[in-house]
Amino acid sequence: MADNKLETTRQHNGIYKQSRRRKAKFLPYLLVAPLILFIAVLALYPTLLTFVKSFFIVSALDPTQKFAGLANYIAVLTDSGVIQSILNTFLYIIFGVVISLILALFFSFSLRNKFRGRGIILAIVILPWALPPITEGIIWNWIYNSQFGVLNSILNSLHIINHYHVWISGNQLVTIFFIELVQIWQMTPLSVVLILASLQSLPKELFSAAKVDGAGKWKTTWSITLPLIRPGIAIAVVESLIQSINIFDQVYVLNGNATVGSSVMIQTYQIAFENLNFGQGYALSFLTTIGTMIMSVVLLKVINRKVEY
Amino acid sequence: MFVAFLAVVCLLFVSACSNGSGTSSTDNSTGSSTNNASKSYSGQTITVAITAQEPTKELKLFTKKTGIKVKWVSIGWDALQKKITAAATAHTHFADVTDVDWSRVGLYNQTKWFIPLNKYFDIKKLKKDVPQLGSFVVGGKLWGIPNDASIMATSINKRDFGKAGIKKTPKTISQYTKDLQKVKKSGVNQHPLGIPFTAAEGLSTYWYETTAAFGGHLFGKGYKPLFKSPSSAGYKAMKWMTDAYKSGLVPKGDINSKDVEISQSQMAQHRISSIFSDYATNKSSVYDVKGKSKVVGQVNYIPTPGKNGKHPNLGNPDGVGIPATSKHVGAAVKFIKWFTSTKVQADLSGLNGSGEQAVGFPMRLSSMKLLEENASNDNSKNNLNQLIKLYKNNTQPVFPNGPPPWYSQFSESVYTNIHSVAAGNETVDEAINKIVKVVNEQK
Repeated sequence: MADNKLETTRQHNGIYKQSRRRKAKFLPYLLVAPLILFIAVLALYPTLLTFVKSFFIVSALDPTQKFAGLANYIAVLTDSGVIQSILNTFLYIIFGVVISLILALFFSFSLRNKFRGRGIILAIVILPWALPPITEGIIWNWIYNSQFGVLNSILNSLHIINHYHVWISGNQLVTIFFIELVQIWQMTPLSVVLILASLQSLPKELFSAAKVDGAGKWKTTWSITLPLIRPGIAIAVVESLIQSINIFDQVYVLNGNATVGSSVMIQTYQIAFENLNFGQGYALSFLTTIGTMIMSVVLLKVINRKVEY
Repeated sequence: MFVAFLAVVCLLFVSACSNGSGTSSTDNSTGSSTNNASKSYSGQTITVAITAQEPTKELKLFTKKTGIKVKWVSIGWDALQKKITAAATAHTHFADVTDVDWSRVGLYNQTKWFIPLNKYFDIKKLKKDVPQLGSFVVGGKLWGIPNDASIMATSINKRDFGKAGIKKTPKTISQYTKDLQKVKKSGVNQHPLGIPFTAAEGLSTYWYETTAAFGGHLFGKGYKPLFKSPSSAGYKAMKWMTDAYKSGLVPKGDINSKDVEISQSQMAQHRISSIFSDYATNKSSVYDVKGKSKVVGQVNYIPTPGKNGKHPNLGNPDGVGIPATSKHVGAAVKFIKWFTSTKVQADLSGLNGSGEQAVGFPMRLSSMKLLEENASNDNSKNNLNQLIKLYKNNTQPVFPNGPPPWYSQFSESVYTNIHSVAAGNETVDEAINKIVKVVNEQK
């Protein structure tokens, strides 16, 4: 009798444990389910739809959708405006990623240690991140103005230039550099925050040990700090990359639809929403998505290697 | 359990989506049944999405009179066009009354995104009072009613021209060019002419007006491009504009300036002395507004100088129409009739003194006359009289046969290529050939 009771209790406990284990097994899935659903509905489904529709002629001027094979892809990849915009976007990426990384490293290293007024400086550094890109475009449009802009005024006062210049729309490199500068101003704060967080999470013992071993500041930074903050740098670089690929508002405000500084996003908008050729718009969007994914993965692989303390 | 949860959520999502589309189609069907003009629409609420600011006091009077409530949404022009496109392609309800721009009428004629208004308005009768109505008729169908007269006119700072020793108003484009050079040489203004060279719609419009001044049209029958030859008006117009930029008549910074910046930041701030293709409402709304302008009382409109003298002014009006997905077509028609009526147009142009200016300049001649009769001083009276004459006798649509459905591609090609010529990245010849190529591809 007593044995039976014990057996029953054991069985009960077993079922209870099994049930708890099952619950514990499904709980993580349940918790991430809303996020998965969110991504599926708002990202995966539109991507899939974009991919499928990119093989059809979809135009507001001709409501009958016809299968077009690779025609949309061929059309966008042979369009001189699109080719120019792809080359321009590569320049936006190079300027954006490199300059914003250098600035972010400089600011995060400067703000790493506590000093008086650090909080205020940090708030000021983060401020541009909070502004909408369109507002920044308008502000910088005034700064770059060739008749009464602050940039011309300062450079003229410092005798760096002897007459006011038109910074946007002339030379391709100059145009792209000055437009990208606005985006760098906006996206650098995020990189600063990401790298600063990585810096502040480093164990202090490592630096004490390095000091004992006689490593100087430069050696410590190069051999210990930078390798250890690689994950933060990787995320910051990928963030900058994605933002540079998606540059739109700043280009639109500062340069209109001019070919000289046109980005892939401007071209996509023009093809889909101005020319109402949605099929080609889908194709270019899909190519941009794939391009972004490939470049992001490559950068992550290159920068984000395993870090061991 | 997880799969079940996902399935339930997916089902809910799909069901929500199908409910949405169901509502939309039902509303469409009811829309056409409410077209009876004599029917009362009291209690209905319509959404009006246009660029003008909400005239609260006037709308209250409308609601009191008809019982129709108006939800007024004021949106910038560019954003509004995107919303119209997005809603129309997704077949969703967006507004009951919204903007119909003259340049998109050809597109709407092909896509049927709007309801033709022929059965609600008598085109012949209305045309006598609304000279720009023709810009909204394509293929015999009326796609919108203009709600604001917008015509291009040449503005000059008469004080600057006088200081430079110019006593006679220039009547031809060659005389006008010589006068601008005189203003520059005399030192009165180093860069007297404003042209919005940024790659945007305003640059295309400037070229259309200048092409007309050189005595030509853009298209012949079947949208055959008429601007290919160097002796054509379109070619000469582009050369004149880009030469003016390169010779320094135009400020270098205009390469990045939009039309609104040319008038507000340059003409009104006395940085330039003339705009060849200016908006006819800028004098009253910008140049003569104390606190906004440094040239109050100095700017006048002149008959647009042409190849051999006076030339027609092109109109580029915005109108209002009813999207095909409108839920309350009958009430929308009533609103448009009210909004474009003589008294309301005059009131919304400042006649009632309420300070509510939802209309830059009324689109009806009868409304303009009302304004003229009630003008507070001789200066305003003369200004109105001048504009009425321009509007009545001298206005023409940009495209006499209606804009092509592929207007957007054409305009994009025009402004990007003229911009490139001014920026020194291509020649006029190359620009013209590229525009012609786009036209031929679209036809």
